[in-house]
Amino acid sequence: MINSISMAKINLLTDLLTAWEDTYKKGQLTLWIFLALKDDRKYVDEIKTFVEEQSSNTMTCEEQSLYRTLRKFQHLGVVDFETGKGNKGPERKYYYLTDLGVKLLDQFVQRNISLFFNQRVKQLLNLEEKK
Amino acid sequence: MKFITTNQLRFAAVLIVLTIPFRLGLSRLLDAEMFTMAWVLALVYAVVIFAMGWIFGRKDHESLPIYDIGFRFHLTTYIICNAIAEILFYFNFNSRFENVKVVHLTAIYWGVFLLIHFVVFMATRRNAIKGIEKSEIFE
Repeated sequence: MINSISMAKINLLTDLLTAWEDTYKKGQLTLWIFLALKDDRKYVDEIKTFVEEQSSNTMTCEEQSLYRTLRKFQHLGVVDFETGKGNKGPERKYYYLTDLGVKLLDQFVQRNISLFFNQRVKQLLNLEEKK
Repeated sequence: MKFITTNQLRFAAVLIVLTIPFRLGLSRLLDAEMFTMAWVLALVYAVVIFAMGWIFGRKDHESLPIYDIGFRFHLTTYIICNAIAEILFYFNFNSRFENVKVVHLTAIYWGVFLLIHFVVFMATRRNAIKGIEKSEIFE
């Protein structure tokens, strides 16, 4: 009986966590793409690998959706590309952040990400030893 | 901003290829007084054109979600359908039951709907940045 109650709690926790993560991850792809392109030019496969590796596989992205997102960003002027030779096969599109993209990322990080790094919030998130 | 997309051009090509035989077929059916068949043909044509618009419009949206795709396709359809109707009349390919005034009136009435569509499109423009709806940029 006690076992079934604790199982139910674990299932509820898992369901809630998944639901929260699903909502939380929506919109995060942009940040990961921008981070992938922050320091150097990358082609789609490299962006995909970067996002998956750096997010410890909590973020996954299909190539098709990456292409679609990059097309949108290019249209908006925050990302651009230049073609270059790949290791083998046809030429690849190497994407990079434009000046507007760099400014957008900087301001977004200042306004929305850096606040997680103040002492109090870090303590609350258990990212730092409590004094 | 791109004013004519690849899928819009493909749709226009399909529309021209389908509309010419449709108009010619319609006129011949009317001349032969096969009015029921003329209705059936018109219905089939309308459904096929709508489906083509839907398919190419969807492809366009998947490629780049520009908010005014619907209006662009509507405008393309308006220009091609009315131009073909006028040209066929000019070269006397019409049936004896058809009147050029009806073609002109169709263009005018349809033009009013197109204008309304344009007004709606201009009104929704406020929610977009460079043609892409704000809610779709960072989805």
